[in-house]
Amino acid sequence: MASSPSPSSPSLNSGSVLQFDRFQSLVDVGFWHRLSSLKLDTLGIDQSPITLVGFFAPHSRAQVSNHLTLLSESLPTAPIDHASSIETNLGNRNRCPVPGILYNTNTLEEFKELDRDNLLQIEANKILEDIRLGKVEEDSTLLLRFLVISYADLKTWSFRYLFAFPALVIDPPATLMSLQPATQMLTAEEAESLSAACNEWRSSSLTAGIPFFIVSINSDSQATLRPLKDWESCQGDQNKLLFGFYDPCHLKTNPGWPLRNFLTFICLRWKLQKVRFFCYRERLGLANLDVSLIGDALISIPTDFTEPQYIPKVVGWERIGNRLALRCISLAESMDPQRLAASAADLNLKLMTWRAVPSLNIDVLQTAKCLLLGVGTLGCQVARTLLGWGVRKLTLVDSGRVSMSNPVRQSLYTFDDCLNGGRLKAEAAARNLKAIFPAMETEGIVMAIPMPGHPIPAQETASVLEDCKHLQALIASHDVVFLLTDTRESRWLPTLFCSHENKILINAALGFDSYLVMRHGAGPNVSTPDNNLECRDDGTAAVLMNELSLKDVGAKRRLGCYFCSDVVAPIDSTSNRTLDQQCTVTRPGLAPIAASLAVELMANILNHPDRIYAPGEIASSITGNSAQPLGLMPHQIRGTISLFSQMTLLGYSSSSCTACSETVLSEFRNRGMDFVLQAINHPTYLEDLTGLTELKQAAGSFELDWDDETDDDAEIQ
Amino acid sequence: MSNLEVWDGTISQKDFYVAARTLVERWKQVNPSLPQWTWIPSKSTLMGSSCKEEGYLSLENMFHIDRNEECLIVDSFSEREETDDVATLVHSTSNETHIYDFHIVYSFSYKVPVLYFHGYQSDGQPLSMDEIENDLPPSSSKILRESKWTYMTLGEHPYVRRPWYTLHPCATSDWMKLLLGGTSMKDLDISSYLLSWLSVVGQAIGLRIPLELQQRSVKHPSASCFIINN
Repeated sequence: MASSPSPSSPSLNSGSVLQFDRFQSLVDVGFWHRLSSLKLDTLGIDQSPITLVGFFAPHSRAQVSNHLTLLSESLPTAPIDHASSIETNLGNRNRCPVPGILYNTNTLEEFKELDRDNLLQIEANKILEDIRLGKVEEDSTLLLRFLVISYADLKTWSFRYLFAFPALVIDPPATLMSLQPATQMLTAEEAESLSAACNEWRSSSLTAGIPFFIVSINSDSQATLRPLKDWESCQGDQNKLLFGFYDPCHLKTNPGWPLRNFLTFICLRWKLQKVRFFCYRERLGLANLDVSLIGDALISIPTDFTEPQYIPKVVGWERIGNRLALRCISLAESMDPQRLAASAADLNLKLMTWRAVPSLNIDVLQTAKCLLLGVGTLGCQVARTLLGWGVRKLTLVDSGRVSMSNPVRQSLYTFDDCLNGGRLKAEAAARNLKAIFPAMETEGIVMAIPMPGHPIPAQETASVLEDCKHLQALIASHDVVFLLTDTRESRWLPTLFCSHENKILINAALGFDSYLVMRHGAGPNVSTPDNNLECRDDGTAAVLMNELSLKDVGAKRRLGCYFCSDVVAPIDSTSNRTLDQQCTVTRPGLAPIAASLAVELMANILNHPDRIYAPGEIASSITGNSAQPLGLMPHQIRGTISLFSQMTLLGYSSSSCTACSETVLSEFRNRGMDFVLQAINHPTYLEDLTGLTELKQAAGSFELDWDDETDDDAEIQ
Repeated sequence: MSNLEVWDGTISQKDFYVAARTLVERWKQVNPSLPQWTWIPSKSTLMGSSCKEEGYLSLENMFHIDRNEECLIVDSFSEREETDDVATLVHSTSNETHIYDFHIVYSFSYKVPVLYFHGYQSDGQPLSMDEIENDLPPSSSKILRESKWTYMTLGEHPYVRRPWYTLHPCATSDWMKLLLGGTSMKDLDISSYLLSWLSVVGQAIGLRIPLELQQRSVKHPSASCFIINN
């Protein structure tokens, strides 16, 4: 057989069992992307096995073995199997293609129930048959067939998988007689010639993808590489023969896995029992014979292997230590479109912090739970703008249905929403918001806000009471409330509750061509025995209020609410209005302007260290830039389109206010919903309570003109 | 282009290609034993440009070997004891290797190069942002965290079409201007743009860039003293 001078190093006296270093897998993320597309677009629930092409290369990087790699190109481009397209891939010499098969199941149960042993056996049988029928000489990569079982969960974008590299088991196992670096088994001339021949083999596109070959070294020390099918013609001459293969393994002491089936093949087909093999390895992309190994093995194969019906024993599941290398990989972050949309939106916001306003607190905006009372022109536009700030939790309250005139002005509704009587606004808006940005949490609540001056028929008292409680609970469980309804009186109860719960409330109201956007001040610090015991969703509000009452002396004046500058209580303003007043006709540009201001006002509040307690500021050309990252902290903004002008105003709370004064709040805290019902059913009750009635009577005796709306408490600059 | 114009820190796509070639050659001279940068031409042109030299630079298979980490493995498949046969070599737990790929892509909107990179375990599982930060030398994590010039984020790789980590390019022209600054247009050696750029970016992501990469190519000696500050 093959014999050569061994210039140095002793061989082992008696052979030890030849142990092969296992193959390891590497699956590029692109493979999973491609498999997902394939399943979603083409295969559907079809579970038939999928042909794969794996790639490997000889060892090249110190200390690291090369892996069998799966890339997106490993999967067929449906429906034709483009095995030939591999040649067009870059770095062909770095990727020797080998055939494989994938069994992918649709459910986890089916994955666990796969008959693994059987599947592995099938592949082993194929290998043995390819050897027997002479196919390996034509295509040697058939010796490296591999198997993958997987379960792709396309809802959670996670993948479980296990590889197998089937190897036929020979009993008794092959023995290793010697294993040396190649340079120690060859003369210098032979080594040089072999290097050159290998480099040529590796550079030619015809041979680079052929991982098994015969090395023939003639008496002039010239080495040539021959394909396996040239075996017959190699027999004649007296050349030294080595059996070479691409070895992915980096160990000095063991050859890699591809040698296993190669030895079995050599013994079965060519009846050799003593084999000198060449583990071809590289450095920096070129043949390196110090790192490459040459070894001698003894192998004997029992005769029944050659019988046609023989079922060979097989090993090859990928393992780490002794445990199966069953892997689970989650790619939700890079594959789930919803998460990708969310992270792209986040990036946008981060850019603001990085480039424009480094002290901006985006997080406080993204985590703010917002309650929108009213989902009309204002409500839709506020919701849309809040999305831009990254708000993820929105609750929308409206009792109405989408009417035919709505979609053109109310930006969350489409034509479909107004058909067949019209969908419920709160629900339609919640759904359409999720269609824009799936990662957000929306809830639509169909509810009418109870209003003073609209007395309740007796049989409805119970349900109105429910609504009141529901509204209070909603306010308590959110961080910011937007008051975007279309009547004055519907703003009363939310104002009361927000004062009581000390929640940030932003109010927007529209005239025909004018608007008001304002934030309500903090609630009055009326302490009740129950304050400390009340169980709140937002515990901080209660604490702050207690602290404030301790520092009462010299405390800042509370900013006013929508009703503070009124001298009439909210009454029924809707009856006896003409049609256009009832529909609150406004210039179309107005609602978006007011809504945008409302949202930006919220952004400023949440970025202010004092939040709801932030003092009101007025824009002035003298004061210049505000100390806060987002600028001025106004109390009220009033504007009019007819002049294209806008101004900021400041108003403090009135002790006669029917919604937020201490009188009203303490009455509410003492009597709860009874007080509310009384206010709703008796229009003058609030005025009596706050002393407005008296005030009016006293004023009436002075014959002042109550149409003049200037108020002592308001300061305008 | 008047000689009095002050350079704005950006680079054209054609010059990017020239600078890329310079980087490839210089890297080969200085780091022959490391993986090499290769130019990957794009198959279809973005932006409808007819430039033949459109593509990106790729440096793949940079290894980071973590001696402490053990290979993790999922739940076992079955209760029964299985082992391979005697002819299989059984390893004790080996070191976990992290593999990184770096791409330098030209951004048409910012007119500067952008670094895209990702890391993965030896079995292909991608590394999270935290795991990547763990691999970084402490000086790099400091830069990433504190500097106002470097923002690491996930972005869609324009050629590979999947999310890769990237250093956002919005500040690049600013600091490139500082780095090679004071140069009038006629003195600017645009072919060394990427060498200078990489010397800065490399610090942020832990790519050790030897000083020789820059020497003899940058005309202003102050460039090699550039330190990223807050």
